[in-house]
Amino acid sequence: MSKELIRLSDCVVKFDDEIILDHLNLYINDKEFLTLLGPSGCGKTTTLRIIGGFLSPTSGDVFFDGQRCNDVPPHKRQVNTVFQKYALFPHLNVFENVAFGLRIAKVPDGEVTQRVMEMLEVVNLKGFERRPISALSGGQQQRVAIARALVNRPKVLLLDEPLGALDMRLRKDMQSELKRIQQELEITFVYVTHDQEEALAMSDTVVVMDGGLIQQIGTPEDIYNEPKNAFVADFIGESNILDGIMRADGVVEIFNRRFQCLDGGFAKDEPVDVVIRPEDVDIVPETEGQLRGTVTQVTFKGVHYDTIVDFYGFKWLIQTTDYCPVDSRIGIKIDPDGIHVMKKSAYSGMFGDYSSYSEEYDEIGDASLAPDEEGSGDEE
Amino acid sequence: MKNKLDRFAVPYVVWMAIFVVAPILLMVVYAFTTEGGGFTLANFADLGEYLPVFTRSFKLAIVATLICLLMGYPMAYLMAKEGVRFQRVAMALIMLPMWMNFLLRTYSWMSILENNGLLNQFFRAIGLLDALGVDYIPLIRTQGAVVLGMVYNYLPFMILPIYSVIVKLDSSLLEAARDLGANSFGVFRKVIFPLSLPGILSGVTMVFVPSVSTFAISRLLGGGEELMLGDLIEQQFLGGAYDPYLGAAIAMVMMVIVVVCMVVMNHFGEGEEEAVLL
Amino acid sequence: MKKQNRVGSRLLIGLVFLFLYAPILLLIIFSFNAGDSNVVWRGFSLDWYGKLFQNRLIMESVYMTLLVSILATVISTVAGTFAAIGLFGLKRRWRNPLMTVSNIPTVNADIVTGVSLCLLFGACFMTWGRFAAWFNDVQSVVELPERLTMGFVTLLLAHIAFDIPYVILNVAPKLRQMDKNLIDAAQDLGCTWMQAFWKVILPEIKPGVVSGALIAFTMSVDDFVISYFTAGSSTSTLAMAIYGMTKKRVSPEINAVSTLLFITVLVLLILSNVLEARQEKLAERRAEMKPMPQRRPILPPVVRRPWFRRTVAGVCACSLVLVVGALAAATGSRPVVNVCSWGEYIDEDLITQFEEETGIRVNYQTAESNETLYSLLKSGGGDYDVVVPSDYMISQLIEEDMLAELDYDQIPNFSLIDPQFRNLPYDPENKYTVPYAWGTVGIIYNSTMVDEEITSWSAMFDPKYAGKVMLINNSRDALGIALKYLGYSLNTTDEGEIREAYQLLVDATDGGVYAGKIMDEVFQVMEGGNAAIATYYAGDYLTMLENNEDLRFVIPEEGSNWFVDAMCILKDARHPAEAHAWINFMASTDAALANMDYIWYGTANSEAIAQYPDYYLENYGEELDQETFDIIQTPPEVLERCEMYLVLPKETRELYKSLWIKLGV
Repeated sequence: MSKELIRLSDCVVKFDDEIILDHLNLYINDKEFLTLLGPSGCGKTTTLRIIGGFLSPTSGDVFFDGQRCNDVPPHKRQVNTVFQKYALFPHLNVFENVAFGLRIAKVPDGEVTQRVMEMLEVVNLKGFERRPISALSGGQQQRVAIARALVNRPKVLLLDEPLGALDMRLRKDMQSELKRIQQELEITFVYVTHDQEEALAMSDTVVVMDGGLIQQIGTPEDIYNEPKNAFVADFIGESNILDGIMRADGVVEIFNRRFQCLDGGFAKDEPVDVVIRPEDVDIVPETEGQLRGTVTQVTFKGVHYDTIVDFYGFKWLIQTTDYCPVDSRIGIKIDPDGIHVMKKSAYSGMFGDYSSYSEEYDEIGDASLAPDEEGSGDEE
Repeated sequence: MKNKLDRFAVPYVVWMAIFVVAPILLMVVYAFTTEGGGFTLANFADLGEYLPVFTRSFKLAIVATLICLLMGYPMAYLMAKEGVRFQRVAMALIMLPMWMNFLLRTYSWMSILENNGLLNQFFRAIGLLDALGVDYIPLIRTQGAVVLGMVYNYLPFMILPIYSVIVKLDSSLLEAARDLGANSFGVFRKVIFPLSLPGILSGVTMVFVPSVSTFAISRLLGGGEELMLGDLIEQQFLGGAYDPYLGAAIAMVMMVIVVVCMVVMNHFGEGEEEAVLL
Repeated sequence: MKKQNRVGSRLLIGLVFLFLYAPILLLIIFSFNAGDSNVVWRGFSLDWYGKLFQNRLIMESVYMTLLVSILATVISTVAGTFAAIGLFGLKRRWRNPLMTVSNIPTVNADIVTGVSLCLLFGACFMTWGRFAAWFNDVQSVVELPERLTMGFVTLLLAHIAFDIPYVILNVAPKLRQMDKNLIDAAQDLGCTWMQAFWKVILPEIKPGVVSGALIAFTMSVDDFVISYFTAGSSTSTLAMAIYGMTKKRVSPEINAVSTLLFITVLVLLILSNVLEARQEKLAERRAEMKPMPQRRPILPPVVRRPWFRRTVAGVCACSLVLVVGALAAATGSRPVVNVCSWGEYIDEDLITQFEEETGIRVNYQTAESNETLYSLLKSGGGDYDVVVPSDYMISQLIEEDMLAELDYDQIPNFSLIDPQFRNLPYDPENKYTVPYAWGTVGIIYNSTMVDEEITSWSAMFDPKYAGKVMLINNSRDALGIALKYLGYSLNTTDEGEIREAYQLLVDATDGGVYAGKIMDEVFQVMEGGNAAIATYYAGDYLTMLENNEDLRFVIPEEGSNWFVDAMCILKDARHPAEAHAWINFMASTDAALANMDYIWYGTANSEAIAQYPDYYLENYGEELDQETFDIIQTPPEVLERCEMYLVLPKETRELYKSLWIKLGV
């Protein structure tokens, strides 16, 4: 990766005493595909809006190409955005939407036509110039939004959950298309999403955020394989997260049993979180298992079975191609490289039990929990 | 949204302070002031004498509002069921009279209702007057004429809000109600009517408030013999009994009563809505 | 079955429309009537349309209505749109209470809004007056006007104040529906804030802005109550003109105005509907997924250029400013005199004559009664120079230091005033007044509806005429006739006597004797045979007699009131020189003769009194009959039974006022 393009230094954002971003430090390299990943309300959109210039941090500085740019208004930044629901102008047709930025910049007519047409070709929308926005499908609108941003030849393209409104297959197509466009045009993409699969599939760098803090920065592989804490482990992929005690380098104790692992550098007898990915668990006959438990639920997923197994009251998710009937007793084996040990963090104990898949599901049963008011998410 | 949108609110807030809040505060101040400028409650003490005016005004306004509702609701409902083209024309026709000043329309009623007016001429022509043995049937300068004037002038204010609520009702709701076994009347009673309550409430407000405070209509059609609240207030400001302090007190009391009525009604209305939702 | 329903429903809708449109159709039909009745058809004619364009009062008020409505609509649409955007940008906890405050004028009764604005303007003018007086005292470079009155500016402000909330109510939902990111997107693509507003926000909320403007215009045109309280006396909208007319005689030109307004609106509506339908069809076609052929622009390309539109908008704005400016200049540069008198109390040709002779524009207005005039003066609504109050009100105005001493050098015609009418009790040294006309109060009755000759005030209280009597609608005259009937003085200060008289009126009211309380409406009521008996003024009787020969007049045997209405100049008059010119003109013999002949009231000009019989003969080709002349110039023996009103002490005035209001309760 080449030189640094954007730097957020010690940025704090507060709305009415509510801290949205907490002393954020982040740099983004030129021509990088960087993804801000996190649940709603984590501060990722706020970060994006700071870069876009729609928001000034309460304190802290923003640098663009080495220049401090806190107070540069959006229309003077070499940055363009693809908005969440596209924000296409309903009163203009496809061509005029794409041409909008050029017209504002008073680009001569001929050049406008040429550049718009070029860009429509890049996003595979040739022949759609005269269509009104309302006559386009979601995927087409998406492409218009991208073309409209890119036609201005920004140095950085910001994308705020651009694929959220599309269906599954289209999303996959658009992912590879975005990646292609980014590589073709060689510009920096800053991409916001809450979909970890999307993040892993497209990014050069993933920034996992929660509660206004960066939880982890790394390549997709790093993030997946070496999560820094329970939050990241849970948010990226499926994880069983257990309490353990580090007895020695390479030896961790779970449920009073010692397991071999590859991690080290902890104090002796330090309590730790242990992550075990569901696909890293082998099912063996009960007698051969390192742990033994009872199958409580089995779901056929095509490639594998999602098997929920109760070990001493803690429910694990195991993904296996072997079918185990409900109520059967089984044993499991975990290879040392399947065990990831993490330091205890504020998130310890909050995740990793598979009594249910989502927290929301837990809440549904409890009517006293009012749903969040609309708009209280990170859009504000 | 940290756009600089909110800066546009500042001039308007100043404007409101001068032209909305200050006048009303001034009215309240006047209501508690003597001619010499001292504090007094006498203006309110005097109000007891005008109790019949209050009751008369509220009575006539309530009657007019009810008649408007009884005429306006079916009208709005039936209109909403017509085709789009018909609706558009009908809406335009309802709005159209409002572009002529309401005094013009009221004035026309004067010549219809006069003792020698069109209606009485008509009654005479068909021999009704002779049959009754009278010179004319008193139509104008009666409370009935005042109510008629109110209904005539404010009926569009009842139709429009109800219509706009009904026409926006999601047709899938009606289908759902039918699916769940309601017949036409059931659909109306259980779904359409409760959902059109907000329209009814705003219609009732829009008819009741001008009715209770009118002075032109009562003056032109009511003959000015029996005062209404509007007449009473007008008399204190530009009429024959100059006393803005008393006038302010009357206006203030009227405003308070109307506001209380509206709050109670809206509260009641909201309760209804919730009951329907649960 | 379904079809039947449809027919029934259409029938019902049709009935409601019939109800809504019947009165309007009536106005339209009778606008083509050859006669001046709204009841009897006398053949087709376009006369009223011709007369309409010569009727200054109506034409000016139509112009004023349109001017105020259009200006208020334009200003409140612009201001309201920005206000809505501003409110939209606020946090919810600020926005909601502010919206509530903003909506006050839409939910408050019009009369409360009107009255409170009236108080506000009054208070502002008072404060300004004090400031200006002080300012003029401490320096002499700039002379500030000390007296401000309500007028066009206050009217416009009031209209803007109640229009803005409607604009906001229409724009706000469009803003809420708008994707908030659109603004960001526009800025992101290089727009400054203003560019984003013009290119993105405005097109998005345009439907709301348009409908807001439409509603604002409708409200402005339809408004009467708020205008009534904020326009002052010198500015009149169409509604105020009509209201003024309905109090006396409505001139049938109103029918013609209504028809023209109706047709204009109808045409506009049809046009907009057709345009809308066409646009919808276009949109539908555009929405179809078929690849569109190159869209042919409806307008020539130049029209679609932004610079062209901006130019057009600029030209419109400039011309508007020019029109308003020209209007202000026109009214400002020409000398004006504001006169307030009573209804049907002048030969209007005299106004034109005066204007032609002097170049002074006459703003001629009328008040309903002395008491109303007093209210107008007190509330700051009356921007008058010359007023024509009656005797007792003159005393009161002098007492309250509201009249200016006249400069009789500027009124040479005062020498023509008969000594009998000088130094009367209301102005003992004759420093403030020049008599305008004089007359008596009596009973007017319709001889076909009453089977006896009426000679006594008792007819006004007689249950046998229940429902056929019209009481005069002012406290002094109404209580006066009761006092006279009881044999008391008109000027009694004895509370017992006054209460006795009041009781008489209450009993008659409770007994259903009175069909109504009216002032100048009496013309229409009595001429149309809509009531049998009424109390009114002698001269007006003669006017009514011209239109209904069955009417009779009597000054009852118990005696009555004789009054003098005299021209005075207000202390704070803004055009004193013009005011003197007007008074001198009206006091001239020619004017007095013409006016006497027109209004049938007596004059105080001794030459005119002497010349009137000859004048009559010359004009009508017949002898003036003595009976008529006696009604105009009441003979001394009758006048002996009559009393003049004197100003009453304050307590008695208060008593009158409270009793009078109570009678209406």
